[in-house]
Amino acid sequence: MNFGYRINQSSMIDLDRASKDIATQVLQYEPSFAACIGCGACTATCSAGRFTPFNLRRLQLMMMRGQTDKAHAEAGKCMLCGKCQLICPRGINTRNILLAIHRLTTP
Amino acid sequence: MYDVAVIGAGIAGMEAASRLAQMGYEVLVVEKDGRAGGHVAGWDRLFPFQRNAANLAAEMLKMMDRGKAVKVLVNTTVADVQRDGQHFRIWLSDGQGVTVSAVLITTGFKLFDAHRKEEYGYGIYDNVTTSADLERMFASGKPVTTKKGERPQRVAFIHCVGSRDEKVNNRHCSKVCCATAVKQACEIKQMYPDAEVYCFYMDLRMFDRHFETMYLDAQTQYGVIFVRGRLSEAAESIDGRIAIKAEDTLMGKMLKISVDMVILMAGMEAAEETDKLAGMLKIAVGKDGFLNPVDEYLQGNFTREKGVFVAGACTGPKTVSETLADARAAAVSIDEYIRDGSEEKSLREEIIEKIRNKRVEIRNRRMKNEEGKSIEF
Amino acid sequence: MRERFIYDPFVLPFMLGFIFIIIYLVAGIINTIRELPYEDRKKLGKSIFSRKIFVSIKEIFMECLIHSRIFRRNRMLGFMHMSIAFGWFLLIVLGHIEVQLYCPDRVNLPYFPIFFRYFMMETDSTLKGALFFFLMDAALLMVLIGIGLALYKRINSRLMGMRRTTKLKMGDRIAMYTLWAIFPLRLLAESFTSGISGGSFLTRGFGLVFESFVSNEALIQPTWWAYSIALGAFFFALPVSRYMHIPTEMLLIVLRNAGIKSKRTNAGYGNIELYSCSRCGLCIDACQMSAAARLDRKTTVYFMRMLRQQKGDIEAAAQQCLMCGRCVQACPVGIDSCRLKQNVRRSESFLSPAQYRYLPPTETIRTDVLYFAGCMTHLTPGIGKAMQTIFERAGVNCRMMDEGGGICCGRPLMLSGQEKSAAIMIEKNTDIILQSNAELLVSSCPICYKIFNEKYNLPIPVMHHTQYIEQLIDKSAITVDHTGLSVVYHDPCDLGRNSGVYNPPRQVLHQIANLMDTRYEREEGLCCGGSVGNAVLTGDQRRKIARDALRKLTEEKPDLLVTACPLCKKTLVGAGSQPVEDIAQVVVKAMG
Repeated sequence: MNFGYRINQSSMIDLDRASKDIATQVLQYEPSFAACIGCGACTATCSAGRFTPFNLRRLQLMMMRGQTDKAHAEAGKCMLCGKCQLICPRGINTRNILLAIHRLTTP
Repeated sequence: MYDVAVIGAGIAGMEAASRLAQMGYEVLVVEKDGRAGGHVAGWDRLFPFQRNAANLAAEMLKMMDRGKAVKVLVNTTVADVQRDGQHFRIWLSDGQGVTVSAVLITTGFKLFDAHRKEEYGYGIYDNVTTSADLERMFASGKPVTTKKGERPQRVAFIHCVGSRDEKVNNRHCSKVCCATAVKQACEIKQMYPDAEVYCFYMDLRMFDRHFETMYLDAQTQYGVIFVRGRLSEAAESIDGRIAIKAEDTLMGKMLKISVDMVILMAGMEAAEETDKLAGMLKIAVGKDGFLNPVDEYLQGNFTREKGVFVAGACTGPKTVSETLADARAAAVSIDEYIRDGSEEKSLREEIIEKIRNKRVEIRNRRMKNEEGKSIEF
Repeated sequence: MRERFIYDPFVLPFMLGFIFIIIYLVAGIINTIRELPYEDRKKLGKSIFSRKIFVSIKEIFMECLIHSRIFRRNRMLGFMHMSIAFGWFLLIVLGHIEVQLYCPDRVNLPYFPIFFRYFMMETDSTLKGALFFFLMDAALLMVLIGIGLALYKRINSRLMGMRRTTKLKMGDRIAMYTLWAIFPLRLLAESFTSGISGGSFLTRGFGLVFESFVSNEALIQPTWWAYSIALGAFFFALPVSRYMHIPTEMLLIVLRNAGIKSKRTNAGYGNIELYSCSRCGLCIDACQMSAAARLDRKTTVYFMRMLRQQKGDIEAAAQQCLMCGRCVQACPVGIDSCRLKQNVRRSESFLSPAQYRYLPPTETIRTDVLYFAGCMTHLTPGIGKAMQTIFERAGVNCRMMDEGGGICCGRPLMLSGQEKSAAIMIEKNTDIILQSNAELLVSSCPICYKIFNEKYNLPIPVMHHTQYIEQLIDKSAITVDHTGLSVVYHDPCDLGRNSGVYNPPRQVLHQIANLMDTRYEREEGLCCGGSVGNAVLTGDQRRKIARDALRKLTEEKPDLLVTACPLCKKTLVGAGSQPVEDIAQVVVKAMG
């Protein structure tokens, strides 16, 4: 459907076209991936995040919305220190998710 | 000989007891603390309309006392309860034993122990405190200050401390903390209009009819700043200020801020007594420690054990008004139970007769006391 | 004694199995030795011609026959294993002695001692003969009691102190049933023959009883055949069964005593460890994933079987482990299964070290003592603040290496098999440590402590804060008073079992508190469930382990549960309302 104006691709999430294949695979491998409430505690506490822009909350959201282009490089920044896992109020297995994203998005 | 034993003299217990007394029952209220009134009696003001909390509790106590049909035992706990046919036999910590027809559990909640969220520094850093501590400061009437006695320039309220947190086994939302944080944030601004006040929230749950107005006022009248992000950790600088870290999730960036005071919105947990009573009375406890009524919709005050009723925050976090409504509902449920539940006809008639007599007696007494004002039952 | 025959066709099944297993074992040993790196082969050669071989022989006797380590765990279970192994050993040895004594010409016939009673007949009764009859019967009885207990263990393992036993597969079952069958069949065969060959209380006794209602003569041949078939079948089933541990464990002991350790792959020594696993299942109860979170099938014994048979998702099995080392501790064979798992994990390395280019250039911190709090300690500021107080009070020039957050020590990456990535962390942190000119590195986190110690190759000593505090108290750099608290100390896995630091925390706690004993301390310490060694365990499973550990640790109701690891502390605090503190915090209290 045309809404009457053209939309710059990058400025919009098009869920009609987005592929959620990888997100589905991550979910199958680690079901707690679905439990995120986007509080951002993981990002705030992140050891890597102190040195480089690295946002696990956003990465999760990007995967869920099918925006997986940069996922591989992003996931690779993680040092696996486990702080995010210790702090996540939803008890999400963040380390396993990062490993899964990295593995599943290997080009 | 009492008709009903109410365990816990918080606002739920007091409200239920006075309603039951009005209906003509003899009520025994057992309270573990040295006074009735529960948490509310120690608070300053209640949202959404700034009602004085201690006054409310005091008023309720007076109401309860009015009919002289309620006996309150303070500094007393229930040592054991056993069913005895249609009745319950209760042994109290003072050694005394009583028999009642129904038991109402109003053991309320326990405040989450903020020490357990060590990353926030409660008990480690001087200027990290809890919402309950702040409420006490307000109630004391003295100005709110930092540990060193200075007026805070910047205050941060941290929502969901011990609530919605699997890491401390509390999955549930404590329901009242969002509104409390907004209330307290505004109160700080009333006290110090030029202070900067921040609320760090995960979701703002302003669910009640008047809460959104509170929120809007906080933004527009008081200039409280809301940041959507959960605090990850706090650190103390040499000057005693607290540096806190969160992600500003709406910006997608890490956020650091130094504040003079951190207020942790400690959530509600099931009280220890609740679990003990549940064990003695064989009633259902949820995974979160709160009691499970037999039917959340139609029998919210009934338990699977006949004659045992529940009301207030022991079945989950509630606001003051919700708690009071729940307590009144419990009184009605108990009344129904005692009248319909007595299987022997003679006993039933005896009770109805007794109630009728009591009502007449109370009406007479009250009419005398209140100088002829008529009271509707 | 007189020889009746020197051959009968019934020996064939036994002989076939025997030849098969000898060839298999010789080939296996040659193959293993070939897989060993050159220096290990040299070590092995040297050790065989040194005193070490006697150590090995003694250990083989104590472990393979007497099973002393199992005895220590549970007497009944030890007795069961000893009865079968030592009894069987006696049967073989005594059988050979008999052959030596009565017909030395037949020593070169491998089947002769095994079926001795069939081939010989008693001509006159002598004291010597009676003694051997008695000894052989006694040994047989011993084995039969062991088999009886083994049967009973399958029904009720709790008698032997085991809540769960290994669920066996076909190969193991066949081998087990044939093993169980061998000795009753031998008893029958020897009993039926006892009229001719002679026998003692057991065989002669049974022989006389049987005589009263069956024809012993007619049953001689079938039972000897059955006995031989059972033996042959057992030998054929041996390589695919857990009983392969019987011969392999001996080799393992020799290799281990030669100073050979498993390397970065599971070839060679690792393979011998795999085949030495008897699937006794003692690791199942030891594993807290099984004890608390019902993950019985994820325990080490099943991983070992998968790895040996190269079946199933071995990689996943290697990941599903807390790496706490409790199974290694419980293993009666002394298999370092954590290392085997680590080797599997290592083979799955996929993170690219290039990703860490964002790490900043090293910032120089000059100090005498460098303090690395550790990532987790940033979430337990009570520990960090207590350490700060201790450093100040001791008047030590100390700087924090990871103030406001640092570079991870690399052990979590290492544990997940990403060693190249871990190397970047090691390199970066090493730079900071070297440039600091510090004389000492202190860490509050046992996870970091272990890797600093083992992988960093630092020129300065590394201490965990428990060791450091002990030293400060010894040197009277800080003074402590008794707090009057009753405490239980929880050994963090990476500090206790995995680094061997058991005494310093206890030395410190004895001075400042009443240290209570628990069943779960030192080598028997529990994992709190928070382990960074396992990335796949769910939050719910972790919670179950943590609650179970907390319940066990507080059985004696201490005022305070004390630990020495930020991760343990955080995990145990989350598991209940028991007050938990780090040893540094208790020390600060004791300093007044």
